[in-house]
Amino acid sequence: MSAVTIVVEPDLAATRLEFALAEDRVGHYPEFRDFFVRAFDLDKVGLGRPGYVRASSGLTYALIFIGRSGEAFPSGLEIYAVVEALEPVDGDVLDTDIWAILNWMIAGIGPPWTLDDLGATGRLYQVPAAGCG
Amino acid sequence: MLTTESPLPDWIAARWPYAPRYAGVNGWRMHYVDEGEGDPVVLLHGNPTWGYLWREVIPPLLASGRRVIVPDMIGFGLSEKPTREQAHSLDGHAANLTALVRQLDLEDIALVCHDWGGPTGLSFAMNNPERLRALTVMSTWAWPTPAEFHTRMFPWRMMHAPLVGPYLLGDHKALVGRGLYLSVVGRERFRSHTQPVYEAMLPDTASRLPTWTWPRWIPLDENARAHDRFLWLEEKLAACKLPTAIIWGREDDVFDAATFAPKFKQLMPHAEGPHMVTGRHFLQEDSGSEIGAIIVDFLERVDAKEAAR
Repeated sequence: MSAVTIVVEPDLAATRLEFALAEDRVGHYPEFRDFFVRAFDLDKVGLGRPGYVRASSGLTYALIFIGRSGEAFPSGLEIYAVVEALEPVDGDVLDTDIWAILNWMIAGIGPPWTLDDLGATGRLYQVPAAGCG
Repeated sequence: MLTTESPLPDWIAARWPYAPRYAGVNGWRMHYVDEGEGDPVVLLHGNPTWGYLWREVIPPLLASGRRVIVPDMIGFGLSEKPTREQAHSLDGHAANLTALVRQLDLEDIALVCHDWGGPTGLSFAMNNPERLRALTVMSTWAWPTPAEFHTRMFPWRMMHAPLVGPYLLGDHKALVGRGLYLSVVGRERFRSHTQPVYEAMLPDTASRLPTWTWPRWIPLDENARAHDRFLWLEEKLAACKLPTAIIWGREDDVFDAATFAPKFKQLMPHAEGPHMVTGRHFLQEDSGSEIGAIIVDFLERVDAKEAAR
């Protein structure tokens, strides 16, 4: 499985944020929200700055947390690839990296959420990054 | 509003020869089919299908002298597809249906419900019982206790988890593609003949939004958003005396026949059935004509009982 690591302050010069994935309800299962709060110290950081992770492709991803009045923070999450400003991104690389980020997230949340179940679900639905196709 | 030109590509329109009609409901544009004359039969699909699911059920109903109305739920088929998850609440979908029924001023409705068409249609029915004449339910539920299938980590909870849901069900069309295929009996014919129709109607990640947001309304515990609505629904149905038919697929592994058909029977002891047919969750794909004939026979018995009074 590709490694994903948290990056503190990536160089954003001459880059753009390329949209990759959005989640409106990160607290649908509260342990997912708790994971992101822990991983990026969101109780202190709040909306101050995105979280950043780097995937083994070398691309950095910005995790932009969304707040919604009346709901615990974060209520949602958007993931963007940090790419060269005027260059297209390789969709297959993006997909593989997102799958790796999902694995990193599930590993960080822990039981009863397991990488085995995520992998099995990905294979059942024939996701190439999960080892199918 | 009736339009004469089908918005469907020719290869789908050839299999779905019904005039498209549209109504403004609850602020959204809803597509529906309205064919035939007589007492109305309203056919309600669920996730991720559209009216097309009922294509083999419609002809026997029309031939029996019924008026058949088939709405596409908002977000599906030819109806408007909102791109915000907040547009998809259980109560909102029930209100959408209520708006359509009131605009068409339908009365003496025979309501036929499948999947999310169950909680949606039955919520409408229990809130507007004076407009109803009969109910038919198949592969659905109407109480707070979830199906065992929906409590399993693999695959159901995992595929609807935060971020995993939009990735699998949105980017990789897990339900409208592989999921539908896994939930029919005649898989090879479905794959070559029918699956492309469903995939064409939800062609991209944005359009597939309700395929991961709507299932999250299934109450998995008493703190869930829709728990109280399902509790209300269960209580209302237990007191409901409308003529009811239960139809189920023998091979259903989502709402398994051994648990869910008897549960409806327990809740509504006067209901007839369960009439068992070949089918998994999307039983209309394997037994559409037979289901149509069962509903026709059921409604003729309802007619006869009413005539005898």
